[in-house]
Amino acid sequence: MDSAELLQFAIAGLKSGSIYALVALGFSLVYGSTGIINFAQGEFFMLGGMLSVFFRDAGMPLPVAGVSAIVVTGLVGLAFERFLLRPRRDAGPLVLIIITIGGSMVIKSLARHAFGGNELSLPMFSSGASVMVAGAAVERQALWMWGLTALAVVALTVVHARTRFGRAMRACSLSHDAARLMGIDTAKVVMVSFGLAAALGALGGFVVTPLTQTSFDVGARIGLKGFAGAILGGLGNPLGAVVGGLALGLLESLSIAFISSTYKDAISLVVLLAMLFIRPQGLLGRASREKV
Amino acid sequence: MIATLLTRVRYGAVIAIGVVVAVLPLLTGDRYLIGKVLVFVALNLIIVSGLALVFGFAGQISLGHAAFCGLGAYTTGFLVTTLDWPPLLGVVAAVLISGLGGLALALPSLRLKGHYLAMATLGFNEIMSVLFVEMDAVTGGNNGLSGIPYFSVAGARFDTPALNYWLVWGVAAVVLALAYNIVRGRPGRAMRALHGSEIGALASGVDTTRLKVQVFGLSAAFAGLAGALYAHSVGFVSPTTFSLETSVILVAMVVIGGSGSLAGPVMAAVVLTLVPYADALVPGLSADTVALMQDWEADVYGILMIGVIILAPGGLGRLLVSRRDRRVAEAGEAA
Repeated sequence: MDSAELLQFAIAGLKSGSIYALVALGFSLVYGSTGIINFAQGEFFMLGGMLSVFFRDAGMPLPVAGVSAIVVTGLVGLAFERFLLRPRRDAGPLVLIIITIGGSMVIKSLARHAFGGNELSLPMFSSGASVMVAGAAVERQALWMWGLTALAVVALTVVHARTRFGRAMRACSLSHDAARLMGIDTAKVVMVSFGLAAALGALGGFVVTPLTQTSFDVGARIGLKGFAGAILGGLGNPLGAVVGGLALGLLESLSIAFISSTYKDAISLVVLLAMLFIRPQGLLGRASREKV
Repeated sequence: MIATLLTRVRYGAVIAIGVVVAVLPLLTGDRYLIGKVLVFVALNLIIVSGLALVFGFAGQISLGHAAFCGLGAYTTGFLVTTLDWPPLLGVVAAVLISGLGGLALALPSLRLKGHYLAMATLGFNEIMSVLFVEMDAVTGGNNGLSGIPYFSVAGARFDTPALNYWLVWGVAAVVLALAYNIVRGRPGRAMRALHGSEIGALASGVDTTRLKVQVFGLSAAFAGLAGALYAHSVGFVSPTTFSLETSVILVAMVVIGGSGSLAGPVMAAVVLTLVPYADALVPGLSADTVALMQDWEADVYGILMIGVIILAPGGLGRLLVSRRDRRVAEAGEAA
């Protein structure tokens, strides 16, 4: 395999990797502020794609349709936390996880009833031939995906590191009780992190739909991959989530190049189990000990 | 006095239900009911009793039991039809492979605190769904495997719907008794301790990880057994049967049934398995109504699951127990 071919596979890997990174970031945000795995994260990705198609078919221009889909999905995320999770917030993680599993089941089924069972698509964001880089072709849509992902990650990093709300989020991820004692409205932080996670997932669904199409049942698989990415980078670590998501995309793409495309989907499970076995704190994480 | 009476009533009820289940094929020759619907109830009981152990007593969730079931179904299907193995060996191999698969998945996921197992099992189900289609030399791809014979062992053939019904319900009864003994015995006590406080259980000398892994392996083996019996009952396996959606519906049965009891999940499994086949029980139900019920199955189960966990966290089982306890208490006060 020559270098241009290898580069082509790497580009494909970074393309899906940027989507995994967005979903992984959603897992990390929710895990950071609540300590639970949100099994509905993949459904938010699905909603982002399906709603943008729906809004566009209703006559909105593409950018407006996309932004509306992201905002609506974000609101669904807020409502999900406020009305389904908050009533049982003092229960253990098992209860909350079951609620997210039930929620994902309902969101997926309702999407099938509302939008039908067919594959849906969006037009490319900008027309024109692929850009050539060192002998490898990069689709214009891929540039949009990378650009918008980078924008979202930078915006989130700035909020996380520089704003009052970001400080509250970081405090919550260290200790809920301590944060509450310092006067932080932890309930609001949790709710907003769900909303942000949903919006990030929806962004992923919006930008990838022109390339891959979408349907009501894409959520679970993308959720699994986003989670594997988050584990790879260290769950709860936003930077790790981005790195892990991109790395997973590259691994998958290289496995297609060197093994076979049939087993591409198995990579995420192998990565997930291997990380849990060897390095559960993730590539970038530090080991933590449980205190009594 | 009243407590022993209630225990006796309960044993009586179990025996009565057992007798009704056993004589049903003698009363009706309905092939749909005896050959399919009630067999599915028994198979789901086998899977759900394992899942109930995992959920109620080890405090973990599995989103992959449909895949373990499929692993069992394809294992025996392949060995019996393609390699001409006797069905007994096929079923034994199915149970072993599913059980070992369960251990392999649980070992890394359960070493850690948290709910990684749930995600690992979700991944397992997604991957197996792909492999059931892609490995078509073994699985027959999208067409699946057909021509799987009824179960037989040493000349005894279970080759009518009624005989097969008795076989599957017999196995279900044994599995339920086994699960009940696990709950009642030393492992059950250890698991309840673990559910109450993991650190407390550890301090009392319970090897919690080992116990959780074992329970999960056993539940995967149960699912494989159910899958293998499914293959021999229906004669046909196809990849869509063992989807993630099926796994989630199985979890819904256990959650709606409630943690900490076997009776709750068992009842939920019976009722929820029958709902999509309501036409077998209620004569004159229109095909449209049945199709509508099947179409909204996932929504309704999802909403029920969330509703139960928010409003009545103990589930169906806890509701029954508390009402009985209340009655005992009231009777005690009256005396």
